[in-house]
Amino acid sequence: MAMIEVSHLQKNFKKTTKAPGLIGAFQSLIHPQYQTFEAVKDLSFEVPQGEILGFIGANGAGKSTTIKMLTGILAPTSGFCRINGKIPQEDRKNYVKDIGVVFGQRTQLWWDLPLQETYSVLKEIYDVPEKEFHKRMDFLNEILDLNEFITSPVRTLSLGQRMRADIAASLLHNPKVLFLDEPTIGLDVSVKDNIRKAIAQINHEEKTTIVLTTHDLDDIELLCNRIFMIDRGSEVFDGTIKELKGQFGRIREVEFELVDSNDGAKLDYSTLPVPVEIRQTGNTVVAKFDDSLVSVPNILKLTLAQVEVKDISVKDADIEEIVRQIFRKEAQEHEQLS
Amino acid sequence: MKRVFRLEKIFIAQYLKQTMEYKADFFVGVFGVLLNQGLNLVFLKIIFSQIPKLDGWSLQQIIFIYGFALIPKGLDHLFFDNLWAVGQRLVRKGEFDKYLTRPVNPLFHVLVETFQVDAFGELLVGVILLVMTTGTVHWTWVKLLLFILSIPFVTSIYTSLKIGTSAMAFWMKKSGAISYLFYMFNDFARYPVSIFNNVVRWIISFIIPFAFTAFYPASYFLTDKNIVFNLGGLVVISIVLLFISISIWNKGISAYESAGS
Repeated sequence: MAMIEVSHLQKNFKKTTKAPGLIGAFQSLIHPQYQTFEAVKDLSFEVPQGEILGFIGANGAGKSTTIKMLTGILAPTSGFCRINGKIPQEDRKNYVKDIGVVFGQRTQLWWDLPLQETYSVLKEIYDVPEKEFHKRMDFLNEILDLNEFITSPVRTLSLGQRMRADIAASLLHNPKVLFLDEPTIGLDVSVKDNIRKAIAQINHEEKTTIVLTTHDLDDIELLCNRIFMIDRGSEVFDGTIKELKGQFGRIREVEFELVDSNDGAKLDYSTLPVPVEIRQTGNTVVAKFDDSLVSVPNILKLTLAQVEVKDISVKDADIEEIVRQIFRKEAQEHEQLS
Repeated sequence: MKRVFRLEKIFIAQYLKQTMEYKADFFVGVFGVLLNQGLNLVFLKIIFSQIPKLDGWSLQQIIFIYGFALIPKGLDHLFFDNLWAVGQRLVRKGEFDKYLTRPVNPLFHVLVETFQVDAFGELLVGVILLVMTTGTVHWTWVKLLLFILSIPFVTSIYTSLKIGTSAMAFWMKKSGAISYLFYMFNDFARYPVSIFNNVVRWIISFIIPFAFTAFYPASYFLTDKNIVFNLGGLVVISIVLLFISISIWNKGISAYESAGS
């Protein structure tokens, strides 16, 4: 049985539409006009135990709304989700013992107190036995390096420390499913890296099922076995990264280091039947093209015939580009429809 | 139940530690409450220097009513002050999410999270006033028992009004002003209801029943009259109100929309 089962999940919000400005605000006060907004439309998917699912989409695509339904914060308009056999909205108090939740933009730590105070209160809230608690704290400390700041008041922690502390707080009661809503937001590269390592380790050692939303495509590439992408509340892709690349990943980039930077102007791909986008910075030229229409060897052959090249690197399609492509396509289709 | 007290204890300790972090804020808070109550008393004193009796009630008796009113008000303030945050901030900013992801009743969690030590100002003034005016009451053991028993029911009226009005934020996003409007009616409660016109009297007796938080029960202790209405009414109103406000709260939680993040 799947750990997470989502079936025809739908969430509508009633939105008041307001004309701009103070006058609009007054009008809306006297004569409110409502509009139904479908934040999440008919989503269905399953997540087996131990999987890391990357849940991606643009801002406002409905990621957070979905996570909030999965965690029992919001009630779905229709459809349901069942996690570890429990429906969050039915038995919330019991259900939340099975899950850990981190909202990257918020904290659940006690802001004014030393960090360790948060853990001792959470221990009581989740009823973690004393012995278990110490074992757990040792484990979390090993993964997330909490000891260096565990006695500092939370308000004095850096963003990276706070995020590590928040992740530890969500794991204290040994949840079966961990929801991470943008866990690397606003962090620098090395801190991101640490956090990713910690997430991977927890998943590996405890077989924790993880649902992760992010805008950082490195997170996805490095962590997720599977991607679920939504746009305007609907599913647009569900599969592995490899499949995503196979399906959409036709854009390739070849980078040439020229011997003479003036050669860049000589490059001419107009003999090819498809457009090739060229970008030059200093000695480096990047050619971007659709590799279903023109092959990499063809591009290489043509380039080497025209200019002298010191070095070549062929880049795999990165997810960022693919995602951009999908969103662009969706946007176009949307425009055509409306 | 044991768990409830244990969590309550832990949260109070937590809140006290937090308060210690901001000592100046704490002292200013207590000072503010004392000052506020002191000025209210000066005001009463001025009124009674002009008129010896207020609708048949002496200054001593009015002060007893006032002192009685402060005890449950202070208790509500001490234990359940976090409800203000629900109407003002927690719902609007989506911070309420946190309470819904923990294996604790969210209302209970919100309630235990603060321990507003400022309230000791009110409690202190209340106790002093009661002690000062205790001679106006013919105490018996039964009456003393009733006096003590009435306090949780009165406190519950304050808390219920706050639960019900702050829960409106689940639909309106912000309901601090409504809570404030309701709460401010308690100013009427410390005077004999007979001095007000029928509309106000009716409102503070049955709609926003603050008359039952002070005047009605206190008037029983002072005059030994109408125990059925004065104390029985308190118990009934208190229970009904708690029931209504908890149902509003529960409905509110399922209407909660969080906030974008």
